[in-house]
Amino acid sequence: VTRDAALPTVDAGGADTAQMERRVPGVARPPLPRRGRARREKLFGIALVSPLVLIMLVIIAFPLANTVLLSLRNQGVIASPSAFVGFDTYRKVLGDPALWEAFGRSGIWLAGNLVVQTILAFVTALLLQRAGRWSRAARTWVLLPWVIPTVAVAVIWQWMTNSNYGIVTKALGLVGIDGVQFFADPTWALPTLIVMNSWHWFPLGAVIIYGALQTIPEEVYEAAAVDGANAWTTFWHITMPLLQPVLFALGLVGSLWSFNIVDSIYLVTRGGPAGSSTTAPVQIYDTAFKAFRASEAAAASVAAIVLLGILAWLYIRFAKPEEA
Amino acid sequence: MGAAAMALALVAAGCGGGSGGPGGGGDDTTLTLWHMEQPPHRVEAWQKIIDDYNATDPEFPVEQQVQDWNQIYSKIAGAVQSQTQPDILFTIPDFTTYVRPLGAVQPVTDVVEELDSEHGFLEAATAPYRDDDEYWAVPLYGMVQMLWYRKDLLEKAGVTEAPQTWEELRAAAEAGTADGQSGIALPAGKNLATDQVIYSFLLTNGAGQFFTEDGEVDFDKPEVVETFEFYDQLMDYSPKDSANYSWGEPQAAFNSGAATMAVEKGQYLMPFEEESGRPAADLGCEFIPQPAEGGQPGSIFYSNAAMVMSQDEERAEGAEAFLSYLLESDTYGDFLNAEPGLFLPLTEDGKTAESWTSHEVISTYRECVDKMLEQSETGALFGFVDGQYVDKIGNVSGQNILAQVIQRITVEGEDPADAVAWGEEQMKAAVEE
Repeated sequence: VTRDAALPTVDAGGADTAQMERRVPGVARPPLPRRGRARREKLFGIALVSPLVLIMLVIIAFPLANTVLLSLRNQGVIASPSAFVGFDTYRKVLGDPALWEAFGRSGIWLAGNLVVQTILAFVTALLLQRAGRWSRAARTWVLLPWVIPTVAVAVIWQWMTNSNYGIVTKALGLVGIDGVQFFADPTWALPTLIVMNSWHWFPLGAVIIYGALQTIPEEVYEAAAVDGANAWTTFWHITMPLLQPVLFALGLVGSLWSFNIVDSIYLVTRGGPAGSSTTAPVQIYDTAFKAFRASEAAAASVAAIVLLGILAWLYIRFAKPEEA
Repeated sequence: MGAAAMALALVAAGCGGGSGGPGGGGDDTTLTLWHMEQPPHRVEAWQKIIDDYNATDPEFPVEQQVQDWNQIYSKIAGAVQSQTQPDILFTIPDFTTYVRPLGAVQPVTDVVEELDSEHGFLEAATAPYRDDDEYWAVPLYGMVQMLWYRKDLLEKAGVTEAPQTWEELRAAAEAGTADGQSGIALPAGKNLATDQVIYSFLLTNGAGQFFTEDGEVDFDKPEVVETFEFYDQLMDYSPKDSANYSWGEPQAAFNSGAATMAVEKGQYLMPFEEESGRPAADLGCEFIPQPAEGGQPGSIFYSNAAMVMSQDEERAEGAEAFLSYLLESDTYGDFLNAEPGLFLPLTEDGKTAESWTSHEVISTYRECVDKMLEQSETGALFGFVDGQYVDKIGNVSGQNILAQVIQRITVEGEDPADAVAWGEEQMKAAVEE
């Protein structure tokens, strides 16, 4: 056993290195000079992370760099000849009110999904936590909306809201509410899409929150009960604070994920009627693949990435839960 | 991140190769055919024809690969860039204007002229594919819109004659509207289905030409405004949620008896009896109604065709040989009957080919089929009217500008003249890009 293994060092990466070297007992090696050992450790570290860095370069950095380069050109049809135009494309795209209106709808879409999904997920998780046969059965079945393909979700919701044979339309008619055109009325299209999308995705949040609830020790609740805390106080002063890290991560990932959604909207309304459900990603998709203005779509994508980056930073800066 | 995903999609579209064929060259002797006809029965019917062709031991056998219309624009761009495009790509006129600038489409003038002399193409079939003194695709099958009506429901409403004019159509739609039943089911979503129905009415009002002889946009004119006003009036008798309707919803409403009339292509024939539970005799068809004064016959007409994209001369000849095989009398009917009634013959001898006429659907609805063939002769497609070839028409049709105009009128209550003026601006922007 080497001296290094017997007496672990505490310099950069020292703990890991000591553990590593402990795994080769009985191998005697001449002690390395301190500088040489540090260099070897550094190279070893680089070798370990280099595959990941390479993968990230290929699947993230290259497409992003390519998109930025594309946004500085005036390409129409994808892969067609184009010329470098500097920031002209950005001036055109950012000067178009339609893009900012689409960003506005994306804000509504994002906030709506965040609120509706969080409420649905939280309520479901709390119900799942209750003891009983129905709760145990529901833990499996609650995942059903999540496993249904998005195409099927779109078809189901269009059927349910169809004015001729939709069950929702008929049910509303029975209670005297006629004429609600869920996907055909600009007032209702985006809110209905938010509800549809939330119905599709809330089980994921519910399962994650349910899992987090399971990690809260029962003793904490028992102690609170001994101190006379009622259910409301227990929820706000024990459950919520202990769930903060999970809710924070769910909020961040879920929001960015929601912003990304094109398929649900496109399958049902294609951004209509009259543009009322055209969110930024839908607008970008239409620009690239319907209007065949690839560079403008790339510029709008870059703008969206910057905007989302700022929002994500603000969220982390102000909503990150304090360390315990 | 969403935008990052979109960025990935853009780059993938620009750089990615298709899974497709070796049209760009290679050792493989199999020709790859891409088409966008996804319904399984169509794929199955065409596979049988391909199998029969391959059984003749051609130098280049063929295999089909089914693509999605929503993805083909980005996929073919990537495939051409990486030289993995198919040898044969099915197309419609405006899609051809998109693909040609990518640089892999071969002129097929010789084979089209040869087939024309042998089978006799309709003028409307070949014209949209002629540019720069060459043909760029081999016409294969046509599609045309008609007015479909439920005889049982119209008779119940007191309408005994099929509407011929706009006024009669409006009156029939009003009469056919009852509790739980709409007089007509029209699409008004932001989609191609809406574009097509509006365009049929535009043609009957002499407003089908959106461009001047110089190729300038000429959309904002009284006949166009008048047609949109009429469509808006018809929407009063269409289901309340028509602003989100595409192809499927009007047909479902029609077959279920929730709508009395609809305007669409021949796909209404095959499923009618099964889905409606009514005898074939209850399905009526008529030419697209036209204005009583100054109207003219017309309907949107799509000549579907096949482009040859092989870069190797021998492979290109192999592709042309297969396309010629499809148009032979014995084969053509089976090819068309992949969707009987929707896919119409584009050749003179095809109209009478027994392989086509003997199909049960064609013989059952022979009267309607004949009307569709007659309507085809007055058919047109925007961007290709009167022999015109607008290079950037794909930019116009891709954005569903006609559908957006009607949505502004029916959904937002905008004045039709203002909405049409907006549409003209959009078309100008699309064409000038």
